Amino acid sequence: MNRTNRALNRIVLFISGALFFAVGAILVTILVWPVGAGYWAQAIEAGKNWLDEVIPATTIGESSNSWVTMAGLALLVILMILLVVALGRVDGHRSRTVLCSTGAPHPLGRITVHESFVSDAIKDCLNQHDEILSSTVTANNVRKTQVMHVSVTPRQNTSPAQLLADVDLLTTNLTTLTGQNVATYISIHSGLRAKLAHDQRRVL
Amino acid sequence: MSSPVFRRVLRRESHSPRTVAMIIAALLMLIVLAYIAVEIVLFLLDQPALLLSPAHIASWLIGLPTQRPGWLVPVCGVALALLGFIFLFLALAPGRLPKHQMQHESRAVLVDNGVIAASVAQHLSDETGIARDDITVGISHRTADVTVRPPVGAPVDRDAIQQITAAEIDSYRLTPTVKTHVHIDRPKHIRDAQ
Repeated sequence: MNRTNRALNRIVLFISGALFFAVGAILVTILVWPVGAGYWAQAIEAGKNWLDEVIPATTIGESSNSWVTMAGLALLVILMILLVVALGRVDGHRSRTVLCSTGAPHPLGRITVHESFVSDAIKDCLNQHDEILSSTVTANNVRKTQVMHVSVTPRQNTSPAQLLADVDLLTTNLTTLTGQNVATYISIHSGLRAKLAHDQRRVL
Repeated sequence: MSSPVFRRVLRRESHSPRTVAMIIAALLMLIVLAYIAVEIVLFLLDQPALLLSPAHIASWLIGLPTQRPGWLVPVCGVALALLGFIFLFLALAPGRLPKHQMQHESRAVLVDNGVIAASVAQHLSDETGIARDDITVGISHRTADVTVRPPVGAPVDRDAIQQITAAEIDSYRLTPTVKTHVHIDRPKHIRDAQ
């Protein structure tokens, strides 16, 4: 799980897609439609004339540079910064957190259970099941709530209902042990490893 | 499970984030913007242009409809439009991943369609005695397509297979629910004889 901003991803995709599509469509239109080519030439000519008038009228001090050119350059730089920021936010913010359960105070002290313990405990238990090829356990922060993610890849032909019952039992036992009911997300995966692996564990 | 946290987790994990497409789109945009910015800076500094100065770009754009070779511009136009269409499609399509939610009282559960398909096929094989390799199950968002290739001469009850498959899938408590379609695939010469 990560905190990639999916809305931002789609906004960037939509804007760039609309721009590329519009440019491509204009290129095709002006070549296959002579009237369109006329409009195109007029529009570009008008834009060029406008710039030829505006740039000399907006020069900065004694220099020949124009505010319009500088504004255009600034706009480009801002757009580039926004794109770089958007790229930087991709998968950059793992929502992973440290699952930490601290018990009630006691004269002898208090017990704190960390993610590594939870992870190792559940993985060790899961690895004893023949039908499970691999498993990972992580803790994530979703809307300020700790969510434990148990990811399991079973051997092919394993019933997901049975698998879910096994994982559920483990997490219920963990809840009993720690006294804290952590929200749990269980994902059951297929994949190349599951396809290539034998249906049964090889007995040595 | 229907808490807001679980709903968010399930929604995010069952839909594509479009990260790769977004990276490609953003990099392409960055390259284009950076090139334009560099040409403007070189123009402001009275330095020779990298490829075309702004004035030359304007002249080139005006003469674009008559550019030679004549095939180059339309090919570029079609390629750009196609790329734009793909990006637009990816931005607007839901991007649902091949997974189903399994209903559970206290956990959020997502299972790959491949796991469901393999499990259903194995269950069918166990129940009917047909070899596992002769059963193909494909799970899509709303349907389960079961194809059975029974041995020559072996009777196959289509309704029974339908019931076994539906019962097994129902036991997974999938969301959204899945409709079962069974197809008995006999060799062509057997079908002709029947």
